[in-house]
Amino acid sequence: MTEAVDFNVARWLEAQQEAVLDAWMSDIVSRWKKNYLHVVDTEHLHLQSRQLLEEIRKLFVENPNEFWEPTPDSKIVVLIRSLSTQRAKQGFKPADSTFYVLSLKRVLWRRLLQDRIAENKVALATCLAMIENVIDRLTLLIYEVYVETRERLIAQQSLSLLELSTPVVRLWDRVLMVPLIGVMDTQRARQTTERLLEAIAKYEATVAILDVTGVPVLDTSVAGHIMKTIAAAQMLGARVVMTGISPDGAQTLVKLGVDFSVVTTRATLRAGVAESLLLVGKRIVAVKDAP
Amino acid sequence: MTVPPEAAEFTIPIRDSTDVLRARGSARELAARLKLGSADQTRLATAVSELTRNILQYAGEGTCTIINASDDHQRCIRVIVEDHGPGIPDIPLALRDGYSTGGGLGAGLPGVQRLMDEFQITSQPGHTCLTMAMNRPRTPFT
Repeated sequence: MTEAVDFNVARWLEAQQEAVLDAWMSDIVSRWKKNYLHVVDTEHLHLQSRQLLEEIRKLFVENPNEFWEPTPDSKIVVLIRSLSTQRAKQGFKPADSTFYVLSLKRVLWRRLLQDRIAENKVALATCLAMIENVIDRLTLLIYEVYVETRERLIAQQSLSLLELSTPVVRLWDRVLMVPLIGVMDTQRARQTTERLLEAIAKYEATVAILDVTGVPVLDTSVAGHIMKTIAAAQMLGARVVMTGISPDGAQTLVKLGVDFSVVTTRATLRAGVAESLLLVGKRIVAVKDAP
Repeated sequence: MTVPPEAAEFTIPIRDSTDVLRARGSARELAARLKLGSADQTRLATAVSELTRNILQYAGEGTCTIINASDDHQRCIRVIVEDHGPGIPDIPLALRDGYSTGGGLGAGLPGVQRLMDEFQITSQPGHTCLTMAMNRPRTPFT
């Protein structure tokens, strides 16, 4: 064995640790200072990074001659996962988040090349390959976690949007209003129907106004969903007044052959409100005309 | 996602319901750029919505191609919707009002035929292609 192959990356890293950490942190700070330093606590960052560096050193001790394969419950994977989740939530761009470990690679390379070991090409290549392997795995992991976190965020948002967008409003005694907004798919339609039926039962409503002003395209699938909602409401004894079909929408629905004649329709919400108040024996008058 | 202004042809893969929104949005946008009236824009968007939704329901996935086929005499938007699903076994039956195998209103295909100026279906198991077009004459301002 030559002296070069005996060169130990783990020991080298231990000796270099402070210098590497300094160089690494200043590289990170200079890249992140514009956008992220207000969300990142530098002291915490130092602590985390020192921990990570320590874990990487341990990897080299544990796998001195082979390439490391990440296992899901190893300490370094857990560390990177939590760190990457946090960054994704803080609004880091993916490139800036992965830059964290890529910067470490750059620092390690630079120091290795300046080291005495650079004279021995075989030893140098072995070291670089080991570092490269670990950093590549970590980069992939960061990216994966980033996407996972973002996807979960999007799923949460669409769920909360779903919750938000199907309100059933009590307009007056026995009069309910359901403003439909956005895309009506099967899930939305089911939720709207459920809420409307619950509200009809709860308030003993006899009229429900279904306002479709906010539905962008009324095609047969949307119309089908609306018809089913209406049928269910009528089964509970409520009359349905549909409002807000645009002139273009009306033309299109007629051409499509969709028949809304089973429900009372009014062009505007205003007319719909007047109609439904009439159905429960009320009307709106000016204060001076009131008895 | 929108139709690039210069592109005469634009294909949108249809895989989930957001693609339906993209397809009909792009169709509406092209119609607006060709200065079609708002009723025509709504018609076109609805027709595209119907057919792309059919893809999701019956074939799982497919493509929607929107073509600006205008010439000196008329403005024309052609839409080709293709999939590799099981196909439509009986086209005249599928074009009859009120007929549906999927629990819908049965108004989609015959409705689209009435909304558009041209409408053709070729279908066999493994390849179904619907072509439709909306033609409007040019006016001095368009």
